[in-house]
Amino acid sequence: MGEGVIMPNPLLQLSNITKHYAGPGGAAPLPVLRGVSFGIARGETVAIVGPSGSGKSTLLNILGTLDRPSSGTVTLDDRDITALDESELAAVRNREIGFVFQAHHLLPQCTVLENVLVPTLAGGDTASRATAWDYAKKLLARVGLADRLAHRPGQLSGGERQRVAVVRALINRPKLLLADEPTGALDRASAETLAQLLVELNREEGVTLIVVTHSLELARRMSRVLEMCDGQFVNATAP
Amino acid sequence: MTIWTLIRRSLRYHARAHLGTLLGAAIGAAVLTGALLVGDSVRGSLREMALARLGKTHLAAATGDRFFRPALAREILSGSETFSAAALALPATMSSGEGSARANRVQALGVDGAFWKLASQSPAFGEIPADGVVLNAPLAAQLRVKAGDTVLLRVSRVSQLSRDAPLASQDNATAALRLKVHAIVSDAELGRFSLQANQVAPFNAFVPLDRLQREAGAVNGANLLLVSREPKSDLKPAEADSETLAKTIAQQLRTSWKLADAQMELRVDVTNGFVELRTPRIFLDPPVVVAATNAFPGARLIQTYFINELRAGVRAAPYSMVTAAGAPLVPAEMSDDEILLNQWLADDLRAAPGDTVALRYFAVGTARTLEERTNSFRVRAVVPLALPYADRALMPDFPGVAKAESTRDWDASLPIQAGRIRPQDDRYWKEWRGTPKAFVTLAAGEKLWSNRFGTHTAVRFPLPAGATGTNALAALRDDIEVRLLAAVDPTSVGFRFEPVREQALAASAQGQDFGGLFIGFSFFLIGAALLLVALLFQLGVERRAQEIGTLLALGFTPAQVRRLLLGEGAALALLGSLFGAAGGVWYARAMLHGLSTVWSEAVGGATLSYHGSPGTLALGIIASVLVAVATLWLALRKQAALPARELLANENVESHASENGAPKRSRGFAIGTVAFLSALALTGWAFTAADAAAAGIFFGAGALLLIAALAFMAAWFARLSRADAGEHLSLAVMAERNVARRGRRSLATAAMLACGTFLVVSIGAFRLDENAGASSRASGTGGFTLLGESALPVVHDLNTQSGRDFFGLDAKALEGVSFVALRVRDGDDASCLNLNRAQKPRLLGGNPEALAGRFTFANRVDGVLPDRPWKALKRGEFYPMKDQPLAADEVAAIGDAASIQWALGKKLGDTIEFTDERGRAFKVRLVASLAGSILQGSLLIDEAEFAQRFPGEAGYRMFLVDAPSNRAADVSAALTRALSDTGLELAPASRRLAQLNAVQNTYLSTFQVLGGLGLLLGSAGLGVVVLRNVLERRGELALLLAVGFRPSALRRLVVSEHAVLLLLGLGAGVGAALVAVLPMWLKPGAQPPPISLCITLAVVLNAGLVWTWGATVLALRGELLDALRSE
Repeated sequence: MGEGVIMPNPLLQLSNITKHYAGPGGAAPLPVLRGVSFGIARGETVAIVGPSGSGKSTLLNILGTLDRPSSGTVTLDDRDITALDESELAAVRNREIGFVFQAHHLLPQCTVLENVLVPTLAGGDTASRATAWDYAKKLLARVGLADRLAHRPGQLSGGERQRVAVVRALINRPKLLLADEPTGALDRASAETLAQLLVELNREEGVTLIVVTHSLELARRMSRVLEMCDGQFVNATAP
Repeated sequence: MTIWTLIRRSLRYHARAHLGTLLGAAIGAAVLTGALLVGDSVRGSLREMALARLGKTHLAAATGDRFFRPALAREILSGSETFSAAALALPATMSSGEGSARANRVQALGVDGAFWKLASQSPAFGEIPADGVVLNAPLAAQLRVKAGDTVLLRVSRVSQLSRDAPLASQDNATAALRLKVHAIVSDAELGRFSLQANQVAPFNAFVPLDRLQREAGAVNGANLLLVSREPKSDLKPAEADSETLAKTIAQQLRTSWKLADAQMELRVDVTNGFVELRTPRIFLDPPVVVAATNAFPGARLIQTYFINELRAGVRAAPYSMVTAAGAPLVPAEMSDDEILLNQWLADDLRAAPGDTVALRYFAVGTARTLEERTNSFRVRAVVPLALPYADRALMPDFPGVAKAESTRDWDASLPIQAGRIRPQDDRYWKEWRGTPKAFVTLAAGEKLWSNRFGTHTAVRFPLPAGATGTNALAALRDDIEVRLLAAVDPTSVGFRFEPVREQALAASAQGQDFGGLFIGFSFFLIGAALLLVALLFQLGVERRAQEIGTLLALGFTPAQVRRLLLGEGAALALLGSLFGAAGGVWYARAMLHGLSTVWSEAVGGATLSYHGSPGTLALGIIASVLVAVATLWLALRKQAALPARELLANENVESHASENGAPKRSRGFAIGTVAFLSALALTGWAFTAADAAAAGIFFGAGALLLIAALAFMAAWFARLSRADAGEHLSLAVMAERNVARRGRRSLATAAMLACGTFLVVSIGAFRLDENAGASSRASGTGGFTLLGESALPVVHDLNTQSGRDFFGLDAKALEGVSFVALRVRDGDDASCLNLNRAQKPRLLGGNPEALAGRFTFANRVDGVLPDRPWKALKRGEFYPMKDQPLAADEVAAIGDAASIQWALGKKLGDTIEFTDERGRAFKVRLVASLAGSILQGSLLIDEAEFAQRFPGEAGYRMFLVDAPSNRAADVSAALTRALSDTGLELAPASRRLAQLNAVQNTYLSTFQVLGGLGLLLGSAGLGVVVLRNVLERRGELALLLAVGFRPSALRRLVVSEHAVLLLLGLGAGVGAALVAVLPMWLKPGAQPPPISLCITLAVVLNAGLVWTWGATVLALRGELLDALRSE
C-alpha cells in the first residue's frame, strides 16, 4: 500500500495530514507535513525513512498522539484520535500505543523490572496491573534480560537499555509500536540485535510496528518502507 | 510496583537534589512550629504563674473594708472535705530599715498557719514570730533585704466607718510596724499570692495575723476567705465543679456565720426593754435593714445624724445629735416638718412649740465633699431630758467621737470650729454625751440624711406585748440573731465567692495569643522558607524534564504527573516538617529568650519558660506539611504542561517563556506614573494631617512609590528587551539584555526583595512616639504631666488649700498645679502590659467634667455627643437608644481602645458584668474609646456611679497631675515627700505612655528582626534563580566560551546581571520605605532608625551577592562545552 491509498479496515489510517509551525515575528507558517495520507494494516511493519527535516519524526509524534496535526485525521482502530481530548489521548498512548525512543528514556531511579511496569501505573486498571508483573518478567526473559531485573538503567549497556525500553513499550499489549530511531544510539551489533528483536516481537506479539530510521538495515527488515521528503511521501517500497 | 514505589525510588535517586527543598521545609516548619510553641509557652507560663499566685485556692471571697472573724474559715467547712484559710489583706508601703529602699503598693497579708497550707509547696520556715515578716522575693529584691534585716511596714489602719464619711477619723490612718525579715518566700510557697490576674508578681509582706489585726485596728478581723476544694487529709487535686463548690460554701456560710461576720451587733437594753441592732460601720447596710423589718414588722428604725447647728432666731446650739425615728419615740401623727426638742435644747434656744428651728448639717457629696444644707422645722413639742428621749445609745459609735470625754477630744474629720463650742455644750457632752437634742420623723431623716453608706443607724426590736424580763429579752435576742442571719444574704454584705482559680486559668488561656503573634512576626521567615522550597523543588523538577516527558509519552496525564511529583514533594514536606519540629523547639526557646531579654517590654517583664505540648508539636507538623504541600502544588501547577516531545527532547523552553516573559512597556510606564504622582500627593497631604493619621498616610505614600518603582522597572525591562545595541554591544549590554530576557522572572525576583525590604523597614513608621505632642491635651497623656498611684487612699482633695495643708504641702510648690483624682476599684490590669485576658478590669471613678477636652477619642457609640464625649459618663446624659436612657443596672464607661479590643476582647457597645459591694450585679457599658492613652488598663466611670456601687472604696488612689512641664520634677518630689505615708508613686505621664507604647514598638522590632532574617533567607532564593537561569542557558554560555570569552568574563556577566536585580529590589524597597519612615525619624526627639535594621539590610545585600556568586560558580562548573556538544 502506498501513499494516498485508503486501506480497507486498517489499524491506522492517516488522511491528508498537514502540520505547520508559526513563523517568527508573524511571518508565514512553516509547513512540516503537507497532506500526508496512508494506512497500515494490523500486524504490518513499516519503516519511514528520509533526510533530516523531512518531517518523519513529526509524523511519528502525530501517530503517537504526542503532537496534533494542523489538519487531517488520524484513525486508530476506527477511532479518530485527533478529536480526542488530552486525557483520552493519554489513555490511548497508555493502552494502545507503545513508544521506543532513540534515547531509551528509562527512569534512572527505577530497576529494569520497575521501568517496564511504569506504564501500568498510569491506567486505573488494577486487574491488569496484577498480571503485568508476570508478563513483564516473561518479556524481559524473552529479550534476554531475565538476570537483569533488579538492575538500574545505569548498570546496563546501551543495547540492554533499549531492549528494556522495547519491553516497556509492549507491557500494556499495545496495538501499535512506534520506534523513533531505535538503533540510532547503538553500536552495530546491538543495533542488529534490536532490529531482529523488533521484527520477532512483531511476529510473536502481533503488534503493528512503525519505525522511523536512517538505518537502511533496519528499514529493510520491515514489510514496507515509506520515504519522506519535504513533508510528503515520495516513495513507497515493499522489500 | 505502585505509585508509592515510584515516589520512593525518585526520592532516593534525587536525594541530593532534594536536600535544599528538605532544608527549606524544615526551616519553615521550625519557624511555624516554634511560633506555636511560643504561644504554648506563654500560655503555660501564665498558667504556671496563675497557679503560683493562687496555690491551691479555688474560691475566694474578698470582703474589702468589711471584716469577719477568722474562725469563720474553719466553721464554714466543718464536716466538709474542703480546706480554707482567712487572711487580712491591707494596702501598705514598706521601706528597708535604714530607709534606703522603698516599695509602694505592697500587699500586707496577715496570715496564720492555715494560709500556708494553700501553698503548692510547704514553706521551709516555721511560724512567723510576732515581730517578724516574711517577704516574697520581688519585694525583698526591691528593698535589697535578706532574712534577719529590719524593715518598716506602714499599713492602712482599718476604719469601720468609711474614711470618706464626714465623721470618720483621719488621724492614725496608717500604722507603722518595724519588723525583722524572718524569711524570703518563693513562688511555689505562695509568695506571689494575689487575686489579680497579672504576670507581674506583687510585693507581698506576710505578717502574723493577730499582729496585723492589732496594729491595723481590725481586732479579730479578716477580709479574705480562701477556699481550696482539696480534702484536708489528702491534698490531691479533686476535680469538683467550682460553681457547685461555691454554692455549697455559700450555703454553709449561711448556716454557720454570726452577726459579727456581717459586722452587726445586738445590744440588749434591759432598762427600756428592747434589743437593738447596730453596726460599728455606723450605717446599717440597707439589705440588713430590709431583712430586719421583714422578719420583725414591729422593728423600729433609728437614724441619728450629726447636726452642725440648731438655730432659733439669734440663738444657736452647735454640733448636736438629732434622731429621726418613728413612733413611739416620735408621735405617729407628727408631720415631717415638725421637730421635738429636748428640754435642754429648748431652754438653750429659748424655743417653744410653734417656733421655727433651723437645722444646718453636712450632706455627703459624691466624694468626700461636704455640702452644708439647712432645713427648718416647726417645734411640735418639748420633751423631757429623760427616757426614752434621754437615750445616749441613740448616737452610733462614731469613731473618734463616741469615746471622747470632752468635746475637745473629738477626732472627726469634719471642719469643726472649736471656738463655737460653748462651755454648756461641753457640759452637756460630759453629762449626756451624744444624747440627741431633737427628734424628727423617720421620713424626714431618710429624706435629708440618707447617703451612700446607708440610712439607718439602728433597728430596735421591742419585746412582744406581754413579755417582760431579762429572759424574754435574751430569747428575743437569740430569735433576732437566728432570723436575721437566715434573712440576710451574705453576698449583700460582701461575701461573694469568686471561682478565682477558674478565672485565673481562663485569664491565662484566653490571654494574648503569642502563637498567632509570632506566626505574624515570623511571616517573612516562613514565607522565605516556602519560597525556597518552591524554587528549589521547581528547579529540581525542571531538571527532570525528560523524565516527565517519558511519563507523558507512556500515557500518564499531566495531572497524574503533577500528583506524582506532589507526592514526592509531600514526602519531603513531611520529612522536613519532622526535622523542623525539632528545630521548632529550639526556635521557640530562642524567641522566649528574646522575650525575656531584648523584647521583655512586649510581655510586661514577665519571666517566661518553655512549655511545649505534644499536641502543639503535632499541630505544627501538620500545619507545616499542609503549607509546604500547598506551596509545592502552586509551584507544580505549570509543570508537565509542555508537550512530551519537547520535554523528551529537553528543548530550551525559553522561546515559549519569552513570548510572554516581557512585561508591556507602555502599561508599566502608565502605572508607574500614576502611582508616583499619587505618592507625591499623599506625601503632601501627610505633612498637613494630624500626627495620628500621618504615619498611615506616609506608609501609603511609600507603598505607592514602591508600586511606581516596580512598574518603572517593568517598563525598563520591556524597553531593554526590544533595544538594539548594534555597534555598542558590550558585556554590560548583554547583561542588561539578559535581565530583560526573562522579564517576568527578573521582575518577580526584584519585586520580592523590594516588597520584603519595604515592609521590614517601613513598619517602623508605626512606632509610637510618646513624646509626640505630649503636652497637648489631645495627646495620649491628656496634657497631664504626671501620673501617680498611691498604695493607701487619699481622702483629701489636693486641689483645695485644706487638702494641701493636711499633707503639709507648700502652696508655692504646687502653684499652677491641678489634680484629677480617681477612685480605684482594683481589678485585672486591662493594658497590653498584662498578657492575661482581663476578666474583671480595674474600674476608675472620676469626675467626667474634669476630663473634658482631654485625650483623643478613637471611637464612640451612637448617643455619645462628639463635642462632649466625657459627658456620656453622667447618668441622664447618654441615650443609647433614641429617648431611652441607660438602664438602671448599667453604667457608662470609657476605656482605652487597646484595652477594649485586645485586653478585654470587647468592642464598643458591649457590656461587662460587675458585682457591687452589696453583691448586686451591674453592667458596665463601653460607650467610647480613647486613642493610645495613659488610661490604658482601666475603665473609667462617673465618680457618682462609682461611689454608689463601691462606697467602701474610700478616697482616691490615682492622680492625674497637670503641672507646668518645667517644674514637673520639683512637683513630683514635693508630692512624693508629702504623701510618702500613702505610698504615692509619681511618674511622668509620658513615661507611662512610653511603657505602654513599648509593647507595640517591641512587637515592631521583633517583626523587623525576624523579617530581616526572612529577607536573609529569601536572598538565597536569588541564588536559586541564578541557578535556574544559568542552567537554562548553559548552551548559550558554552557558545560564548567557544567564541573566546574567558570563564571569568562569563561569571562576571552572570553575577552582574543578577546583582542588578538585587540592587534594584533592595533600592526600590529601601527608597519607598524611607518615604514612609523618614518624616518620623526626622521629628525632633525621635529615635533614630535601629542600627540592627541597617545591619540587616547590609547583610541581606552581601548575602544576596554571595548567593549569586556561589550559584554562578556552581552552575558554570564542569565542562561547559559539553553543553554545546549535546546541543
